[in-house]
Amino acid sequence: MPGNIIETKDLTKIYKGNIRAVDSLNIQIKEGEVYGLLGPNGAGKRTTINMLITRISPTSGTASVDGFDIVKESLQVRKTIGVVPQDLTADEDLTGRENLVMVSQFYDVPKPTAEDRIRQLLKLVDLEDAADRYVNTYSGGMRKRLELILGLVHDPKILFLDEPTLGLDIQTRTQMWDYVREIQERLNVTIILTSHYLEEIDALADMVSIIDHGKVLITGTPEELKESLKGDIITITLKDEANVEVMKKVPNVVEVTEHGPNTLRIKVVNADESLPDIINYISKNGLSTNKLTVQKPTLDEVFLEYTGRNIRSEEPADARKMMMNMRRMRR
Amino acid sequence: MSGIGPLTVRELKKWYRNPVFFVTGLLQPFFWIALFGSAFDITKFFPQASELVLGGAPNYITYIVGGVLTISGLFTAMFAGTNIIFDRRLGPMGRFLSSPIRRSSIVFSKVFSSVIRILPQILILIAAAIIIPNGLKFANGFTVPDALVLLTAIILISLIFSSIFSAIAIRMTNMNSIFGIVNLVNLPLLFVSYAMFSSEMMAGWLADIAKYNPVSWSAESIRMVIINGSNMTMSQWGQIGEWLGGLAVLAVSLTLLTAYLAEKEIRD
Repeated sequence: MPGNIIETKDLTKIYKGNIRAVDSLNIQIKEGEVYGLLGPNGAGKRTTINMLITRISPTSGTASVDGFDIVKESLQVRKTIGVVPQDLTADEDLTGRENLVMVSQFYDVPKPTAEDRIRQLLKLVDLEDAADRYVNTYSGGMRKRLELILGLVHDPKILFLDEPTLGLDIQTRTQMWDYVREIQERLNVTIILTSHYLEEIDALADMVSIIDHGKVLITGTPEELKESLKGDIITITLKDEANVEVMKKVPNVVEVTEHGPNTLRIKVVNADESLPDIINYISKNGLSTNKLTVQKPTLDEVFLEYTGRNIRSEEPADARKMMMNMRRMRR
Repeated sequence: MSGIGPLTVRELKKWYRNPVFFVTGLLQPFFWIALFGSAFDITKFFPQASELVLGGAPNYITYIVGGVLTISGLFTAMFAGTNIIFDRRLGPMGRFLSSPIRRSSIVFSKVFSSVIRILPQILILIAAAIIIPNGLKFANGFTVPDALVLLTAIILISLIFSSIFSAIAIRMTNMNSIFGIVNLVNLPLLFVSYAMFSSEMMAGWLADIAKYNPVSWSAESIRMVIINGSNMTMSQWGQIGEWLGGLAVLAVSLTLLTAYLAEKEIRD
């Protein structure tokens, strides 16, 4: 079983004005997994990431990245990790390849090795044809793909992806997910992913931590988290008056509540198994249905359950940079 | 793992690939020598006093070449900090800061590239000064040590001022602030110095301040070697040593200060 590649111990960051952005955070990330950090704005995601990538130092507590202390061995940490920040970082006045070469020189990658690797990476994200064009001619999706591989030129063990698809349209976003999956499979890197999009975490992450107020609320696989809600929801609208008590007698039904006229909201352990029972029961009792919907739990609901907030109403963290990125994407 | 090499190459690529940036930079010294050389030609106003104000130079162009070279270096250097702010606002800074490079290499790539950008300007400016009518004359020749003095003075001036203006930009996010500072100090630095006029031409208090302006030290050093050529005396070399020494001390201490500030203070 692979060991922990990242471990934090009571990691804490207190900003001016006694704001506890990160409060005694303890997380363990296993080698080779995609680890999602999910939380509303101001939850401490970005501060946590910034400490792990040694951009800022913690107020107290420690963390180790690939065995290196983030404070005492920050240079070592920076060599081991690749970072794909939320903002676009490529120089628009250089070509894609020139950007990649420059970054490879930051890490002292020998020239032939770098050239080989850059060729592979460009191929991986389908940017071979655009490699020698100036970055200011790239589309939004192409720029994001370039950012993705800029973090990989030095063959890092760990890749930090901060909101990799922010501001992209849905089609481009799902395309990015394919690239991220491919990177993880082919290059065998551990990926730490923060995202605003729950479906992104759901699609990519092996493990998720939901954090809020600088603390971890819950950690688990996306499936575990969804299961922790204990059940699927079946909503039935009957032609006749609905009887809550009667429906409770169906096996495996956890909870039945009235949900509008003639409508019942039934929470079951597993909708796939319970649905036939419920339909049988309805027909046996001479009832007939108008409408029947099944809802499997999503991470949205998990998020709502644990943070008490709906992630959809959240605004992106840095409005100025966000707008600037969007503007550049649209070109 | 300093990062200074790739980052300086990046700056230079951005320079020579941008035709407007490149061509204007090369045209500027030509305009300066032609315009300043005519507009401020003091011998036109006081023909009888030209002996006194020119300090031995055969004409005014020959007299101000040292000043214009220095100012040219100064003005290029003052914009060294702007690219730090651009990098911060447009995103590349984030990439640099998460790389294992020295923080100071981000700043020094701007300093060194602006020093390099000045070098072709020197050549063009001297060529322009020679070409124009009644232009630059090396009455007493021009030796290799003279050329070294000229080069050293300008390089030191650009090191000094690009360090100062990069250090200012280390924590700055707003481009307008740096433009404001540049506009505030460029003309005072130019006119409170011996770049265009000799101390005899200035109000007493102005000449007293100008004595301590590094722009004066550089302009005077270059002027001295251009006027005297191969006839430089030992005491003149001593004077040049003092001026260049002063510039070197300033350049070294400002470079160290900038390095310290960059390592400690630079952020996204």
